[in-house]
Amino acid sequence: MTTTSEFTYATTSTNPGYNPPQKMGRKLWAPMLTMALMAWPVGLVLSWIRAAEIASTAPDAELIARFGQLVPAFMFIGFLGVFSAISFAIARILGAFRNGGGQVQEAAGTQVETLEMPATAKLFMLSMAMGMMAILVAVVLHFVVATNVTTWTAADIASWSEVLEGVRRFGTALYLFGIAFGLGTIITVLRFQSARIRQLPGEAAA
Amino acid sequence: MTSTITSLTKPASGEDYRSPSRQRQVGFLLAFAGLVLAGVTLVANIVAAGSNDPQSAAETLAWSFGLTTTAFGTIKLGIAVILVGILVRLSLRIVSVKTALPELKPEGDGGARLGAISTDFGPATVSNHVPDPLPIHRMARTMWAPMIAMGYMAVIAGLVVSFVWSGNVGTETGATAQAWTQGLQFLGEGMLLAGISFLLGSILGSLREGGGKVQKSVGLNVETLDMPNTAKGFIALMALGLMISVGQFIGYVFVAATVDTAQSFASWLAWLGPLREVGLGLLLAGIVLALVTIGNVLGFQFSMLRRIITTGH
Repeated sequence: MTTTSEFTYATTSTNPGYNPPQKMGRKLWAPMLTMALMAWPVGLVLSWIRAAEIASTAPDAELIARFGQLVPAFMFIGFLGVFSAISFAIARILGAFRNGGGQVQEAAGTQVETLEMPATAKLFMLSMAMGMMAILVAVVLHFVVATNVTTWTAADIASWSEVLEGVRRFGTALYLFGIAFGLGTIITVLRFQSARIRQLPGEAAA
Repeated sequence: MTSTITSLTKPASGEDYRSPSRQRQVGFLLAFAGLVLAGVTLVANIVAAGSNDPQSAAETLAWSFGLTTTAFGTIKLGIAVILVGILVRLSLRIVSVKTALPELKPEGDGGARLGAISTDFGPATVSNHVPDPLPIHRMARTMWAPMIAMGYMAVIAGLVVSFVWSGNVGTETGATAQAWTQGLQFLGEGMLLAGISFLLGSILGSLREGGGKVQKSVGLNVETLDMPNTAKGFIALMALGLMISVGQFIGYVFVAATVDTAQSFASWLAWLGPLREVGLGLLLAGIVLALVTIGNVLGFQFSMLRRIITTGH
């Protein structure tokens, strides 16, 4: 491993290919997107049923309270899916740079220099994992509250709803924060590769 | 105006390819500021949940809603600034590749024959010139900045209205302000995501144009990927998501202007909330497909570079 004032990189004789998070990103973006596209219609239909019940002449308070928990649960299963899909798609792009950069250096007949995972990429993964956990916990607890609407008091249900709303939103903010750092990592990679490709002709000739 | 917007995505005169990215630093700062704001609203919601005074809790939840959406908008603004930084770096990378490639390329003919070809990354077209930008690329280069500016302004306007909502909870003025806050802020969020989508479209345009310039610079015919299905899906989802974002805004304005009973108001809000989330969700789904398309185009271009270095064409 070599560290300069600008970058820390590893030197190998062959292309190192994708790292584990990038392999995961290549496999998981599509299932996550599919999950999102399946969850939102469920949430939307439940919201229509709930809205109709609220507007009816004899509203069913139990159904309104239960669906009041299920609607955000399904909507945020969707958001968990789509934010994960975005994160995995960014990891896939970073993989395309890592693998492609290695291929080009191999083809030029030089040593393959590959950027070590920058701190921004680690923060990207950490933030994504924390966002995912926050939303997942909130979704599970929405289902728990939904199953207890007949036994818990209205005040308890309202308190839980308010806390879970805050947790869901903070989870969303963590995902977005991670995405910003994932994209920022792409800039670091572009800088590294812009410098590296200019070195190749000299090394190839030697 | 258009040239000013375009200049934002180009390197400054004499900018060094090794220099750190200012956009990256600004983007990180905005993202951090947004996360801190979201943390404040999390605490506010927990405090409201523990409050014994329902009126005070409702007031807190009102401004907390406005501030949370502002937090999301601020992080998205940061993401947009970072995407601008990526566009600048892509331009510098093209210069680097054009500088190095002639010395790495062995002697070879002009490359693939003109016409349609099949590649590992999908169908492509070979031409003898750098491809013109597609209409969607031209639109993206013009539209990203107005969308982001208008989107963030709508989010901030919604934040201001949320304070009116907070100060008038339980009154008709409060209900009207609540509808305006939610409609305005989610219209703003939708526009911010549309601006981010346009920036991703600009990145795709930059990759297409840059790939062509690199191949032409070493005297080769130009291979360009045809628009993949993921890119078509990206455009469709973005358009649908933006239409829903505008539609939910109209819905909230209608509610604010015409609905006068608490029961009817609650019924409208019960489905407009999820609808606005679906609008943002579809825009985000489009962004996934745009990122996947970028990954495919990069794979295609690296594979082409390797072939040029290995075979000369």
